[in-house]
Amino acid sequence: MRLEPSFGRLFRISMETAFLAILLTLFTGTHAVAWTLEEAAAPYKGITIRTIGEALPPLEAMEKLKGDFEERTGIEVVIEMYEHSEAVNKVMLDLNSKRGRYDFILQPHRELGRFVANGHVEALEKYLDNSALRDPSFSPEDQLYQGLWKEISWYGGKIYGFPFTALTMYMWYRDDLLNDPKEREGFKAKYGYDLKPATTWQEYTDIAEWFTRPDEGFYGTAIQGKRHEALWYEWLNFLYSFGGDMLEVKAGSECGPVIVNSPEAIASLEYYKSLMDYSPADTLNYFWDDVMALMQQGKVYQLIMWNDATYAVAEDAEASTVAGKMGFDIIPQGKGGKVGQVEGWTYLIPTYSKNKEAAYLFVQWMMEQQQQLNQHLNGGASARPDVYAHPDVQQISYSKASMDTNAVALPKPTIPESPQITDILVRELSSYLSDQKNAKEALDTAAAEISKLLGSCAPMKYPVQ
Amino acid sequence: MINRRMGAIVDRGMAPLLLIPSVLLLLLILVGPFLYMVWTGFTDLHFALPGREGSFVGFDNFRRLVREDHIFWHSFLLTLKFVVWVVIIEFIAGFALALLLFHFIQKRRLFLTLLLVPMMLAPVAVGLIWKLLLQGDFGMVTYYLRLIGVIDERTAILSDSSLVLPAIMLIDLWQWTPFVTLIMLAGLLSLPREPYEAAVMDGAGPLQLFRDVTLPLLRPIIALVLLLRGIDAFKEFDKVFILTGGGPGIATELLSIYTYRVNFKDWDLGYGAVCAFMVYLVVLILCAVFYKAVFWGGGQRSRRAGFAR
Repeated sequence: MRLEPSFGRLFRISMETAFLAILLTLFTGTHAVAWTLEEAAAPYKGITIRTIGEALPPLEAMEKLKGDFEERTGIEVVIEMYEHSEAVNKVMLDLNSKRGRYDFILQPHRELGRFVANGHVEALEKYLDNSALRDPSFSPEDQLYQGLWKEISWYGGKIYGFPFTALTMYMWYRDDLLNDPKEREGFKAKYGYDLKPATTWQEYTDIAEWFTRPDEGFYGTAIQGKRHEALWYEWLNFLYSFGGDMLEVKAGSECGPVIVNSPEAIASLEYYKSLMDYSPADTLNYFWDDVMALMQQGKVYQLIMWNDATYAVAEDAEASTVAGKMGFDIIPQGKGGKVGQVEGWTYLIPTYSKNKEAAYLFVQWMMEQQQQLNQHLNGGASARPDVYAHPDVQQISYSKASMDTNAVALPKPTIPESPQITDILVRELSSYLSDQKNAKEALDTAAAEISKLLGSCAPMKYPVQ
Repeated sequence: MINRRMGAIVDRGMAPLLLIPSVLLLLLILVGPFLYMVWTGFTDLHFALPGREGSFVGFDNFRRLVREDHIFWHSFLLTLKFVVWVVIIEFIAGFALALLLFHFIQKRRLFLTLLLVPMMLAPVAVGLIWKLLLQGDFGMVTYYLRLIGVIDERTAILSDSSLVLPAIMLIDLWQWTPFVTLIMLAGLLSLPREPYEAAVMDGAGPLQLFRDVTLPLLRPIIALVLLLRGIDAFKEFDKVFILTGGGPGIATELLSIYTYRVNFKDWDLGYGAVCAFMVYLVVLILCAVFYKAVFWGGGQRSRRAGFAR
């Protein structure tokens, strides 16, 4: 008997709740509830999509994450991993053969102009405007660093993709040695100021000199001097910081006067080479893998390196002897002020892809905060500010340096000729470092070749006699 | 009788027919692509730049190669230098080793097997092994060279533009001298005994035997070895690609590396085809000149012999 009224009340409450829920649904609009990944992916169930990228932690993280997507959608995702240049070459051949082996691709953004100009990749507006495909909660306009997104994945005012990684370079140094009282005392006695992370290039040199102890197999710094793209990327930090640039343009997709042989550029290159005195003997045979290993083995005090390699040195105690002993900061400043260079890998959908919609769904899913956070914590470099704001990310030793550099990163050429510009500069920089030319000769040669390559839009601002 | 004649007729008729498949195959995989490459050399085909779809440009690419491309000519001379040094030294060392094995070593089998190890390795593996051995900080060879004072603490072989090419030549010697030894030894073993016996009867000393009997008899074998090594050295790619990628600067940018760059880094396929064609042309001319030079004497002799008969 006593149960009766309470049962009735319960019934009434549940009816009221149901009514309110229905009302709420009606008011919040139908699509918010209607769109689910499972439904959007239903037409593509059972198909396989294939992609290709560089074999590094961010892609390995994606390999681990994809299972969840496969389970929810029934779409299988195959990921091919290759070394940097191999991943670029394979895509170039696939796109030119128009075979459509890859449903979406991951490529460095300097290649973007080539792809767009040749009609190899599709603008994504039509997928973003398609309500069947677009997740209403996905709004890259608000969720990504706009500057990074536009630099990495836009071309000529159109959206071609989303950043897979937003890579920057910053200064790595040994925090444990920096705080060693003996080192601090000795340094101050010799140079007259306190040992701290370098903020000017003079300080950078002083610190490198102080820590160079060849008898102990320990060096102040190391440069990536091999004839390889790594050399060019590293030098750009110096070039920008000394107030120079390659072309006088405002955006990566523009063509403009060649200024790569400006006095600032020459000074930056000469300074760059001066660091060889504090580097290991084989420094002209190093690229990013080598200097990363050098740091992991605790053989060098400071250098300038990529954020996607930081995790393996700073956090991964199994691979690194200096895990937990590292400090990170934005690169020292010269005439160019606070600068950084950005290089992103971007998701792109080739024109010849056979499963564009399914590919779009996967990319959209990867850009969700949960996946981005997960990938970032496993060595990725997200372009979402809310990932950096997450407490777990805040705790990572290199987050601040990463964010500071992201904020001041300068664009670099993404025009169709830009990979050829890189190749010319790599060759000339390497010739200078190995004493086959002086700095002015090397940069003059590069400027003349670049100007000729680009044609009338790129006269030389500093003509060569 | 009739049967035999029929057989001959069938043979004569069948011979070209049986040749057709191999000729077709050659046309398909050798001549066809070659002609296509030559054609590409006359176009502006470029994979990276828009609007360069492969329209005919006449001799523009050839003009650019001859007049403007300093790096091509640098690479060309560098490659010639590499080929000449490597082939000469490999030949002398390989031949000497073969003579040593032939005259003084009874159990050759073991030595030969050991000797052939470098040659049996994949070229890429050779590159990787030497990359580690020559590594400037912890490489074993670097360590010992520093220990005996050949190089100083601040020198690393692959980072030094004056040492890197000789180093690559030495690696090539290490890899390919055994090949020369093998072929020369096979040649020595196949020589007839009679001319030697006759020469000894006539009072020839060891030096005379070598100069007047061994060398002339070995002439075709020597020609073969030099030709094979010459062509191979001209095409050298793997080791350099792995060890230096053409650097530092352009210190080891051999023609094959340069051609690779033009084609697969810049994707300038029209111009790249011309570079590749030039490599082919040079190899062809070298072979022809060389072949003539080596066989000229022999040819004279056999013609004279034929006449006498």
